[in-house]
Amino acid sequence: MKRRGLFLLVLLVLLCVPGFLWQPHQAATVRANYRSYLDPIILVPGSSATQNRFNALVKELNHETPKTHSLLRVEVMTDGTLKYSGTLQSGDEHPFIVIGFQNHHDGYRNILKQAQWFATAFKQLQATYHFNHFSAMGHSNGGLILTLFLEDDLAATHAHADRLMTIATPFNLEEADPDVDTPLFKRLESGRKRLPHELVVYSIAGSKTYTGDGIVPFDSVNRGKYLFQDQVKAFTQITVTGANANHADLPENQQIVGLICQDILP
Amino acid sequence: MQTTNLFARYLIRVEISWQHNRQITAIRRALRLIFPLVLLGSLADFINQAWLQTDGYYYQTLHVVKWVLRLRLAREYLRLISAGTLGLTAVLMAFAVSFYLVASSTQHTTDRLMAGITAVISLKFFNVNRASVLALRPIKWLSTDLGLTGVLMGILIGLLVGNSYRWCLNRQQADEADLGLTLTVTSGWILGTAALGLLWIGTQTTSVNAIFTSMMRWPFHLPHFIMGLAGFSVLTSLYQWLGLLGPITVGGQSMESAQNLAAVLNHHGWQLPHPVTLHTIVNVYAEFGGSGMLLGLLFAIFLVRGAHQQQRVGWLSLVPTLGNLGAPLMVGVPVILSPLLGIPFLLAPLATISVSWLCVRFAWVPAVAYPLATGTPGPLLAYLGTGGSWSALALALVDLAISTAIYYPFVKWQQVAQVEGGAVHEA
Repeated sequence: MKRRGLFLLVLLVLLCVPGFLWQPHQAATVRANYRSYLDPIILVPGSSATQNRFNALVKELNHETPKTHSLLRVEVMTDGTLKYSGTLQSGDEHPFIVIGFQNHHDGYRNILKQAQWFATAFKQLQATYHFNHFSAMGHSNGGLILTLFLEDDLAATHAHADRLMTIATPFNLEEADPDVDTPLFKRLESGRKRLPHELVVYSIAGSKTYTGDGIVPFDSVNRGKYLFQDQVKAFTQITVTGANANHADLPENQQIVGLICQDILP
Repeated sequence: MQTTNLFARYLIRVEISWQHNRQITAIRRALRLIFPLVLLGSLADFINQAWLQTDGYYYQTLHVVKWVLRLRLAREYLRLISAGTLGLTAVLMAFAVSFYLVASSTQHTTDRLMAGITAVISLKFFNVNRASVLALRPIKWLSTDLGLTGVLMGILIGLLVGNSYRWCLNRQQADEADLGLTLTVTSGWILGTAALGLLWIGTQTTSVNAIFTSMMRWPFHLPHFIMGLAGFSVLTSLYQWLGLLGPITVGGQSMESAQNLAAVLNHHGWQLPHPVTLHTIVNVYAEFGGSGMLLGLLFAIFLVRGAHQQQRVGWLSLVPTLGNLGAPLMVGVPVILSPLLGIPFLLAPLATISVSWLCVRFAWVPAVAYPLATGTPGPLLAYLGTGGSWSALALALVDLAISTAIYYPFVKWQQVAQVEGGAVHEA
């Protein structure tokens, strides 16, 4: 009778051995696999739009989802300070955070500056709310800002980008000629190797005419494949037509709201 | 047995008379029947969860990904085996209980089988896709509640159908199989339970099992105080003892665990915002070998002299129990619906919870913050969960000793009860 008990004890100890041997590496493993409870969805509006751009969209999304998510709006001033409005409820796992800019004008130089401001805002939000993973959606130039951030500044924040959706994002600006590369596209292309490999990307194009959504040429949106394809985990291109398919109306387009619910919200 | 005291004699008498009850006999025979399937399913489940899933103990510690080929195929294969065995236990229990109840009343195999089949069909009427019935679409059967969580439901349906069938059989005089009787009883039951099932899905949006488990949840949303932990433990044990074997989870815990982990990773030192939660006490210190400290029962079985039948079950259940899958011991010994073993099954976790709560509450032992790998040997959970605290390991070993000591006398008495009542029981 003693022998059986002893056998069980020895077996128990034997099974514990791998655990004891592995324990010194445990902290590193836990840290590498750690994902914060907070997993925000960051929304970035396009040029000429403010941090209030997505109020209607968020309302619509909250209507579609079983759980209501809070909305925090951040305006980044030209001196890098942040102005908050809205709330981030405690216990909300997936709040929406809209990041807009005081200087929200168009233009290559300005977009680079906005990407810098975005990085500043992201780091401050991260320091305040302690999240280490997120998903993002950018409309028009907002998608450019997010892509620039993912290429240039994400690594330094040690955050993990899970999903990205760009809506009518002109990766080659307003250039309709497929043979001409704008400086912005060259810049994005040179940094594509730094895009996170775990990221899932959806690029949505609106099609009002056969060549574009009225403002952004279809070819410019289509350039996204030269950045993301074979670089991120998955890259999907979607073209939306029908009512509300012109550039400015896209975020409220019912099909796109459906796509956000399906692909970006967890 | 002169050594056993009055209390023990009383318990043994209760156990024996309990075992001789016709209903209990049928249930125990049914449990014995499904034991091989539960064992096989638990083994498949154990290998899948502990060795092949990314959050498994052996997967992480032995770097399984580097040396196992066709990992995905192996996962698919084992999951299928587990679904085909553990996933259908409720159906098998309903069939077997009904079958064995009728078996003593009739010589005709047709009647026995028909009783089992009727029970299975009745059970299925409560496991049907609600929308498909109400929208007049092709009927879709559900399998979610047919697994280990459904054993209780299977037993209840089996008892209902089996007893009514037996009652009808006892009313008839003829010796030869009577097709008319079979038809009457079977169709009576099927028409009746179909109506009940329809009534249920027409008025309720959840399954019967979901009602059981939600009763479990509502009083204990955030049981941080000892009474909450104890209450949760008692209710869990009671449910498991009745046959609701699946894992029971309580909402609102994941956030606190996340905050604990965040605090440990973002700050120096081991300061937790929520040191006492269900996760840090019950999951870590009261579920070695599965809910109810079954590892303690296994030790007790191995230490008691001469408990041969239980030891055979113990040897067979060794691997799953060391991986914290308790179903084989629950079904094989059986602990389910055994009054004698129900007492330590209730008391052992209560004792370890109290001791552990005291140690963690007064910060003698750090609380667990790291995620726990599935299949970790029970006493090692605390050590790995605290990032290698020896005091946590010591506490876990003390808990194991306490639970073994609590189980030991009851296993001994159980063995006496089996010897004394065995002859009649087997007949």
